[in-house]
Amino acid sequence: MFCRNQTSRATVARGSALEMEIRRGRCRRSIFLDTLQDSDIQKKIDHEIRMRDGACKLLAACSQRDQALEASKSLLTCNTRIMAYMSELQRMKEAQVMQRVARRSSDAGPMDDRHPCKAKVAISDLRIPLMWKDTEYFKNKGELHRCAVFCLLQLGGQSFDTDMVMVDRTLTDICFENTIVFEEVSPGFELRVELYSSSWEDGGSAGSTPRKLASKLSSSLGRSAGKRMRAAMEPGGNSPTSHGGGTTLLLPVPSVPGPKYHLLAHTTLTLTHVQDSFRTHDLSITANEECSFWLPLYGSVCCRLAAQPHCMTQQMMSGQLRVKLGGDPQGWTDIYGVLKGTKLFCYHKQDDKEASVDPAVTIGINKETRIRAAEKDPHSKAQSICISNQYGGEEVTHTLSTDSREDTQRWMEAFWQQFYDMSQWKQCCDDLMKIDLPSPRKPALISPKQGSLYHEMVIDTSDDISTVTDILTRRMHDSDLRSRLEQATPTPVWLSLFEEDCSPPTTPIPSHYQKPPVPRPCSSPRSPARASPRCGGRLSSLASLTSESDSPCSTSPCSRHGWTPEPPAAPPSFRPRTLSLDAKLSSLRVRGYSAGLQCACQTPAAVTSGSPHRAPALAGLSCSSTSSTSSSSSEGSGGPDSDLPFSRPGAAGRSARNLRSKLDPRNWLQSQV
Amino acid sequence: MSQTFHIPGQPITAYVQRIEIKKLREGSNLILGFSIGGGIDQDPGQNPFSEDKTDKGIYVTRVTPGGPAEDAGLIMGDKIMQVNGWDMTMVTHDQARKKLTKKSEDVVRLLVTRKSLEDAVRKSM
Repeated sequence: MFCRNQTSRATVARGSALEMEIRRGRCRRSIFLDTLQDSDIQKKIDHEIRMRDGACKLLAACSQRDQALEASKSLLTCNTRIMAYMSELQRMKEAQVMQRVARRSSDAGPMDDRHPCKAKVAISDLRIPLMWKDTEYFKNKGELHRCAVFCLLQLGGQSFDTDMVMVDRTLTDICFENTIVFEEVSPGFELRVELYSSSWEDGGSAGSTPRKLASKLSSSLGRSAGKRMRAAMEPGGNSPTSHGGGTTLLLPVPSVPGPKYHLLAHTTLTLTHVQDSFRTHDLSITANEECSFWLPLYGSVCCRLAAQPHCMTQQMMSGQLRVKLGGDPQGWTDIYGVLKGTKLFCYHKQDDKEASVDPAVTIGINKETRIRAAEKDPHSKAQSICISNQYGGEEVTHTLSTDSREDTQRWMEAFWQQFYDMSQWKQCCDDLMKIDLPSPRKPALISPKQGSLYHEMVIDTSDDISTVTDILTRRMHDSDLRSRLEQATPTPVWLSLFEEDCSPPTTPIPSHYQKPPVPRPCSSPRSPARASPRCGGRLSSLASLTSESDSPCSTSPCSRHGWTPEPPAAPPSFRPRTLSLDAKLSSLRVRGYSAGLQCACQTPAAVTSGSPHRAPALAGLSCSSTSSTSSSSSEGSGGPDSDLPFSRPGAAGRSARNLRSKLDPRNWLQSQV
Repeated sequence: MSQTFHIPGQPITAYVQRIEIKKLREGSNLILGFSIGGGIDQDPGQNPFSEDKTDKGIYVTRVTPGGPAEDAGLIMGDKIMQVNGWDMTMVTHDQARKKLTKKSEDVVRLLVTRKSLEDAVRKSM
């Protein structure tokens, strides 16, 4: 049975008596499905209750604050889920009763009202800006008042929580990195977003009395008082008794020891808020400044709410068709049509679709399309369907025809359903919105931040220019010159960084500034071969992006060296990796010139006539490390492209040269991402 | 933005293009393949791409050929207005770099503007 829009969990065997009865309209499927759905929900409720009990026990047993917070969060989520399932159960029971009443009063025929298709709704990149008072914000001293926050998202019967985030006054926004996907959502959905917070210092006060003490108290306080206290402190003491199968008694949430979350703000999002980009929505704040869990919210939440209706992602209808363009009487073509999203794809053969061959014809089916059944063609048995589209002012009509009347009817029905879905899902059907599924990644480290907003900036491995350089040089295509030079004697590891088109050294350049320093071969003076003529030209100021703090190569005051212009053979596209003067000056480490950088780069004789002289100049290389710990705030990832301040003959036009000279990182900091 | 330069405090309007760049994963690194310049802590007079020499926005100074940014349609000289919803018109250079290089994100969605875009829209109006 072609029954697309019904959520049915039970399948009725084909050809069975039951199916025949259903077909005859004598009884509706729903009678049989209800009980199955009921037990489904019941199972879910039981599952959640077990989870809740587990969370309670965990909470009581927790000693670490953050564990307790996590357990409390799961407890809250379980409770919400249970409530949601309970209300759904209630609704279903009511609906059943209504249906039975309706059926008795009027003979309801088979489903004739249309249901819109369901969709997958995803919410991601939640961000809630905070509005600290400037006095709070810049305070360096004093205790950091922290709160643990998380978001609870509810849609229909589904509830999800985001990861917990610790918020203190150094944060300007609360960001939740999770992407949450809800399945099988109808267009009239209401997505409730709730922000819960719990103060870090709070929630341990009366609650987390260890059991032993509790029992001691109970014995010392006198029997009845003690019993009462004990019951209060014992988790799960009030857990609801679940009667087998029937309604579950849901007593008030057991009072558990441990941190409690309180609702800080909430908002509801609907279809009108769905868009393929980030939008800001208002938040209703339900707490006031007196509460311990208070956070100064700006009052809005930004997120990306996307929806993918099934009519856009799934194939709604397919079958053999004959199509012709316009009124051409002869042009009938046999094709295999597939209706999906806003298009009707017509493939030559059914296999083409599997083989991902491009369709022969693609007919757009969108809000502007007009479809009508043509007048009965005296020659053929079935009616044909005319599809008209406006393509840039011109009307283009395709005519479809099938072999039998039932097929035509089914196609018309499919088109009507598609139009209905589009009218219900509105802007979601204009274009397919992408939903990025969260990729598995390492859990974020909780860094204990203290101090003001402008605290240390840690430069990460991946930010380091050397690794980025490596990656990009690998992608650059080789040039003749380089290959010739490759045969030369091994070069200092860092030299390759200066050349874009050279392949990176085989030993990975230790990029992280915390790693132990690698003894640089830079003490060897030969290493000329590596130097292409280009190499020479590149070095104005140098960043040894790899240098660690104790690198023997590092540290000389940065100096600029003039270089003679390159020979014209150099390709115009190279760019040196240099850091801006500011960055270098601020991150200087002045050490002895232990080895110095003796890179006498001599060009191989074959290559060019005038060998640019370099060399002793290189000793003045500043290998300033990128490990700017606290100082340089302007230190980028350091992969700036710069150009040489000196002219390069011939290779590039004046304007390009001009631009490149303007892009000198000594004057204007650039970062590679 | 147009010839009448921006007055601080007034809202900025611009015609923007959406550019979605999928980061390229190389080992443990995610790279985008372009370079940025600018920021509220940088000298705007050095920016060769901006019309208004007091514009402290974030500009694309270079696009690696064959990289993910080039494939997505980013052009040298574009001004980046937003990155994944984060505003880029009033940020420091490092803040901008950080928003682009978040390890947890595989995709960055940028809103960029350029003079040619403005002109094209003007002409078509």
